[in-house]
Amino acid sequence: MRNDRLLAALAALLGLALIAVGVIYIALNEHDIPSFFPGHVSHPASHHHVKHGIAAILLGLACLAFAWFRTGPRDRAVSRA
Amino acid sequence: MLVVAAADRLITYFQAVVIGLLQGITELFPISSLGHAVILPKLVGWDLNQDKPYFLAFLVATHLATATVLFLFFLPEWLRVLRGLGRSLRDRQISPGDADARLAWLLVVGTIPAGLIGLIFEHKLRSLFASPTAAAAFLTANGLILFAAEYLRRRAPGADERARELEHVPQSETSSEAEKRLATLGFREAVGVGTAQAAALFPGISRAGVTIGGGLFVGLTHEDAARYAFLLATPIIGAAALLKLPDLVGHNGDGVRMQALVGALCAAAAAWVSIRFLMRYFQTNTLTPFAVYCLFAGLAALIVFVF
Repeated sequence: MRNDRLLAALAALLGLALIAVGVIYIALNEHDIPSFFPGHVSHPASHHHVKHGIAAILLGLACLAFAWFRTGPRDRAVSRA
Repeated sequence: MLVVAAADRLITYFQAVVIGLLQGITELFPISSLGHAVILPKLVGWDLNQDKPYFLAFLVATHLATATVLFLFFLPEWLRVLRGLGRSLRDRQISPGDADARLAWLLVVGTIPAGLIGLIFEHKLRSLFASPTAAAAFLTANGLILFAAEYLRRRAPGADERARELEHVPQSETSSEAEKRLATLGFREAVGVGTAQAAALFPGISRAGVTIGGGLFVGLTHEDAARYAFLLATPIIGAAALLKLPDLVGHNGDGVRMQALVGALCAAAAAWVSIRFLMRYFQTNTLTPFAVYCLFAGLAALIVFVF
């Protein structure tokens, strides 16, 4: 069941990345966020994309929860079998 | 003082009481709070600009009050569900007999899609469809949706089949009977019912209506579908209100905070009476009277606004 462990690891990494993206959206204004982020503007601005940030954090938490349960005791028992 | 005087003219205390009561009732009855909040002021000739920050700040208070009442009404259920959530995280699995934990994750899974859709599209849809005419049209559509939910219920797996499924659910000492019944829902069904909540972003479509309808469609009884709909609504309404709380405590709320407090108290009282009534009502009754009301009220408002 190596694929399951790989999937869980990828979900955990994706979850952490999404949470980081969410924090960046909330902490930085739309001018200061990286230019490849949706919502970036080139002119100086003070608006923060808080909703984008919350959405990214929610998705990140969902990915972490998936990874957490994917490596739970039932899964480990199946893996051993 | 000038600001207060100006704001007093924008939302009077009488308007605050009426809008608060209306919010408390229509948020929980399957007849759309947003639709009524858009249609009623226009019908009675109130000059309320609902896109203005002061009015949005006022609405934050009434929504927060409704969410608080919902949470307190189902407090025993929420405590069991939160403990179940903690147990499942600790054990890294949902134990087969743990209906509380399963219900907790059904609520999480059902909330995420509607929350994401709301975060992304709420503002765009509100600005596109916030006209009284559009709200009246959607209210009519809401009536048809409720009729359809009752009709499709006959094609659903049904209470009998759900009851047979319940025989295979291991008994838990911590869960109420209603939670055990709700925990028989599948995760796909929970996502479907939860996603249906997003339809309430259209003013005139009722969140309670579509989620109760979704519950009926997957075979829940009216009472269980209503319970699930109210549990599902609490985090969404509460989170949306908390997200906009800075509007109320910031300068947008200047001059309307007292009216917001009055409106919130009225909304809380109306919501408490409504939830008590509806949980008894759905033990023996159906969505049909609400469908009839939405259909006729929507059509009547549409005729008034168009002609």
